[in-house]
Amino acid sequence: MPFARPPATRVKERRLHPEQMLIDPVYEQADVLSLLDGLPVGVVVLDAQERVRFMNKQLEALTGFSREQALGVPCRHVLRSGFCLHQCRSGQGHGAGQSVETDIINRHRRKIPVRLTQVTLRDRQGKALARLDVVEDLTRVKELENALSRPIGYGQIIGRSQAMENVLSILPAVAQSNSPVLITGETGTGKDVLAEAIHKASPRARESFVRVNCGHMPEALLDAELFGGRAAKPGEEPRPAKFQQAANGTIYLAEICDMPHEMQSKLVRFLDEGLVYPEGGGPGVKVNARLIAATHRSPEDLLREKALREDLFYRLNIVRLHLPPLRERGEDIGFLLHHFQEVYAARFKKNIRGFSTKALRLLLSYGYPGNVRELRNILEYAVMVCQKDLILPAHLPLLLVQSAQGEPVAVGKSVAKKKKA
Amino acid sequence: MQGKRALVTVHRDEVAPRFDLCTEVLVLDFDEGRVTRRKDLVLAHPSADELCDLILRMDVETVVCGGIEEEYYHYLRWKRLEVLDSVAGEIEVVVGALSQGHLRQGDIFYPEAGQK
Repeated sequence: MPFARPPATRVKERRLHPEQMLIDPVYEQADVLSLLDGLPVGVVVLDAQERVRFMNKQLEALTGFSREQALGVPCRHVLRSGFCLHQCRSGQGHGAGQSVETDIINRHRRKIPVRLTQVTLRDRQGKALARLDVVEDLTRVKELENALSRPIGYGQIIGRSQAMENVLSILPAVAQSNSPVLITGETGTGKDVLAEAIHKASPRARESFVRVNCGHMPEALLDAELFGGRAAKPGEEPRPAKFQQAANGTIYLAEICDMPHEMQSKLVRFLDEGLVYPEGGGPGVKVNARLIAATHRSPEDLLREKALREDLFYRLNIVRLHLPPLRERGEDIGFLLHHFQEVYAARFKKNIRGFSTKALRLLLSYGYPGNVRELRNILEYAVMVCQKDLILPAHLPLLLVQSAQGEPVAVGKSVAKKKKA
Repeated sequence: MQGKRALVTVHRDEVAPRFDLCTEVLVLDFDEGRVTRRKDLVLAHPSADELCDLILRMDVETVVCGGIEEEYYHYLRWKRLEVLDSVAGEIEVVVGALSQGHLRQGDIFYPEAGQK
């Protein structure tokens, strides 16, 4: 029955101060110190020479040292925290109730983030008698912090703004379905990335994702490329169509509005029957592929201009996702700036902390007509030319600075070059 | 210990409690239980990665340190080095135990250790 003694009256009779209670052998054995075992945090009691006099069970579990192993050992060899090593001995660690976030490496070689609170017990003359270090495991807290600070994302699509959240929130359901998808959004908003993210999150993820840009090819070539054609020489196998390459996977058609009307009707047949008809005639080939199409223009405008067939539009428009331009994504600009700064700093192995106030102001006030692609390219350039730990206005492309000053834009020059000139 | 090279992480006059925060190392050459050469190296800044590089560059066979993260421990072991970690004590005492071949992982050399 360790808690049966000593009675409270005895404490009163002996007139012990709290610090004496901690180092008095009678109390050390069972009473006051054993109470520390009941605390949900690690506690170590140190003598004036910073040697371990007691540690509770929580700290034993945290450090991997048993009480017996740690007894009499300087605390820096038991706690092994960064704070112990560099600040504690210089006297900064001796304040009452001082609390710092640091980390320890335990005996099992695990680095654990902790909050370390030090309380010094002094006698009436102010002489340090003992010290109590309270060690709180922050592993869970840090995990939660990381989860909260992590952007809402889907594959490479990231963003924290409401506009992006609206898109990202329905993506899992869109990915799981088999319906055709129509993605709209200005150039550089990430339509290709979104299409690939949908494919990767879909049950077709293990199969091919085939991308075709309808705007780059002559009509005949595009037809053969998409739906298959005759063999180039007699006896040779015909080239496999993109639709066949995407069998059981996803075919993504960028800039669908550039596709000729005849081919659009072939797409309608594919969406209705699941068959593709090779160029130059021949029987239809059954293909199981999911179709994702994208355009940087408004589909309604395309319909008015007859650039998009009405029957195709209604078949594609089952799931329509609109990627907002960067200027409508509010807080995402700042977030993306820091995201790409970190990405490129890691890629170029540079120790860049962030942006100077002026550079950040310039970057935040810019309109980004090229959207995320332009922002990413600006950051790639800035990090590449930056030789300091902060990105300054001199590291930004000239067009951005000129745009902020209302000057005519000269593409391809940096502010640094302009200054030299 | 015969014809071997060891590296001890140093913090003031004792084994550095943390491998990743160490800014000084002692490189020792042993021959038949005697230290034939010792060299103190002060590092520009603490870095576990750079320390691992230095250890490999110097053809060290045994590393003596305090706390070391699993990642670096396994890296050095994978490179076939002997790693005696969780060692605590004054440098000269630890070097003495090392030269006599008595040093083990987790050894603590403080006279008050284990005393109430």
